[in-house]
Amino acid sequence: MKMLHALLNQRLRALILKEFRQMLRDRRVMAALVIAPVIQLLVFGYVLSPTVTNVSMGIVDESATPESRELVAALVESRSFRLADYYDSVNALGNAIGTGKLDSGAVIPYDYARDLRRERPATVLFLLNATNANTATIAQAYVEGVLQSYNAQLSPTTASSAAVVLQPAFLYNPGLVISWFMLAGILGMLLILVGSTFSSTLMVKERATGTIEQLLMSPATTTEIIVAKMTPLFLAFSVMGLFALVLIRYLFGVPFNGSIAVVLGAGALCILCGISLGTFIATITKTARQAQLSVFFLNPPLTSLSGAFTPVQAMPHWLQPVTVFDPITHFAAITRGALIKGSGFDVLWPDFFALLVFTFILFSLSVWRYRAQL
Amino acid sequence: MRRVFAQARKEVTEIIRDPLTLTLALLLPAFLLLLMGTAISLTVTELPIVVQNLDGSLESMRFVDAFRASQTFQVVPWPVSEQPERALSSNAARAVLIIPPHFGRDLLRGANAPVQMLIDASDPNTAQLTAGYAAEIVRAYDVNLAPAGRAPAVLAAIRLWFNPGVDSKKFYGPGMFVLGLTLFPTLLAALAMAKEGEDKTILQVYVSSISAHEFLLGKILAIMFVSACESAILITLLLTYFGVSFAGDPTPFIVASILYAFCVAAFGTMIGAAIPNQVAAVQAVALGGFLLVFILSGLLFPIDNIPVGLRWLSNFVWGTYYIEVVRDAFLQGGGWSAMWTKVLAIAAIGSAFYGIAWRNMRSMQLKS
Repeated sequence: MKMLHALLNQRLRALILKEFRQMLRDRRVMAALVIAPVIQLLVFGYVLSPTVTNVSMGIVDESATPESRELVAALVESRSFRLADYYDSVNALGNAIGTGKLDSGAVIPYDYARDLRRERPATVLFLLNATNANTATIAQAYVEGVLQSYNAQLSPTTASSAAVVLQPAFLYNPGLVISWFMLAGILGMLLILVGSTFSSTLMVKERATGTIEQLLMSPATTTEIIVAKMTPLFLAFSVMGLFALVLIRYLFGVPFNGSIAVVLGAGALCILCGISLGTFIATITKTARQAQLSVFFLNPPLTSLSGAFTPVQAMPHWLQPVTVFDPITHFAAITRGALIKGSGFDVLWPDFFALLVFTFILFSLSVWRYRAQL
Repeated sequence: MRRVFAQARKEVTEIIRDPLTLTLALLLPAFLLLLMGTAISLTVTELPIVVQNLDGSLESMRFVDAFRASQTFQVVPWPVSEQPERALSSNAARAVLIIPPHFGRDLLRGANAPVQMLIDASDPNTAQLTAGYAAEIVRAYDVNLAPAGRAPAVLAAIRLWFNPGVDSKKFYGPGMFVLGLTLFPTLLAALAMAKEGEDKTILQVYVSSISAHEFLLGKILAIMFVSACESAILITLLLTYFGVSFAGDPTPFIVASILYAFCVAAFGTMIGAAIPNQVAAVQAVALGGFLLVFILSGLLFPIDNIPVGLRWLSNFVWGTYYIEVVRDAFLQGGGWSAMWTKVLAIAAIGSAFYGIAWRNMRSMQLKS
């Protein structure tokens, strides 16, 4: 209690009050704080999706029999493939794939129906545009899946004899709703990136306008100055984060399976981490332009290494350990774990610990560098 | 014309003399390409999975070996006494394969033997890939198991074109090349233009005899020169580190690159002319250039995945067309017949940007 009192002495209160007023008067900042996260959440949540549906497929049907049409129907009646057009020759089909008109093609040979009737295996050629590795891999699995069930229909007796049958069960997100995955990562990205951008711009202001000398000459300690500067920012970002959580819950319908306290705690740490990062950048740059540029160039690597959009396991092996140094990685792990999987603190504590370490290091660095600015 | 070149030379000199800007302009695109081209990928390998073999027969061991042998999965140990779901919730594994008792007996009896796979679907795309890979392994195992003559009726012969190794790097490398060439020239152009407004040096331009066209073209020419230098570095990286090469006629790519350099320079200049404040201009470029091109251009995920209500937007995003041209040049090799519409679209969008920038500048007077 005594410590808290000392921490919130009159000097600190006055400083905090000053920063609060200064921030509230800047309409542009306040507007951007509300609008930016809403737009980003909506855009990212609705637009970004690696799901593979409606792969356009061209068909060369050399057989032109009821059997071949049945196969075509089996292929395109699933939502995975969309029948684009029929082609006369393999060459024409190949050209259409080459020019990007089609994503895939199937060639049914002229002896397809004859082979089926004679109970000889018939081979159908599938061409997939593998430029996009992910789409190609999933489309390949679709083709195999469609054919497997088609085969089972053709000869129910052979297919069901002595075979291992895989029964996949999707846990946590059985509908495979991609936005659940994305939003958890995007929330961390918002808190860190918006946090660091705004705080670096606001923090560097004292230096750019030259008032930093007056601040440093006042009886307030460096820690007090920085704490005073961070408090209003922290509150503003907390409101923004809560707002984002409400959107995620009620607009996108992401389930909140775990404890909300874990998410809120991680969010608070993440905000602090973002602000400290911004403050640190502000202390090593001289103008708002330089600060913005530095943050701007930190964004893409922080985003792409975080696993917010793409799984970390898909990165090359030498790069995977690097992701440990990205705070967004840990926040995404916590939100995904706590919201979707319902994991508790007992599982997620290493990520909490990592966030805490980042925040502590960045905060100490900025306090240390703040003095050295003169 | 002479005045255009003089203006361009002045801009280039200004960039060269500012070490921060010069590094940003030349090194960061290369860094971004290397990092993001390698880091971004959706096709997972060596996914940790847990196998709970409740059978222990010879057949079940053979079945597990099929999973062990695949490059996609990496079997990690897990105590039988623990609940398998815990391996998923603690992130020790992404999937659990459960082989029930009597698995081997059922197979020997000629009955179906079901196995269950619990997949962590908190990342739906990876979950789908995992299910697909596992099904393929099981299918291959079943084909081996079936006696001769009992092969499935219809076989699929699948050919993967243009990227047979399904290497994500070859897809995202060219994409990040476009992102680099979109982000940095735009930023430089916007900053150079906004700086004139912020420092009020624009007044000197107003009173000089240079016309609005000459002034804008000079600025754009300088940024196009920087773009050309960046492209040279980035293409070298693509050809060496990313291992792609020109798949066909490179002329559509070259023409499109020149037009695209004009397009992004015009966009940056337009932003800078409209917002004479460097900080605000950077924000606008971040929102307009980065977000739009990153999300709506098909850079990361196919455009077909965007909901229909928003998909039309990507027709106006300049990066959309250039990405297709670049991917075509390095992977598909469709040539002019496939690409001429895209090249025209880049030229059209670039002209529109230039037109708006010129409208802003044409009176050569301070806005009241």
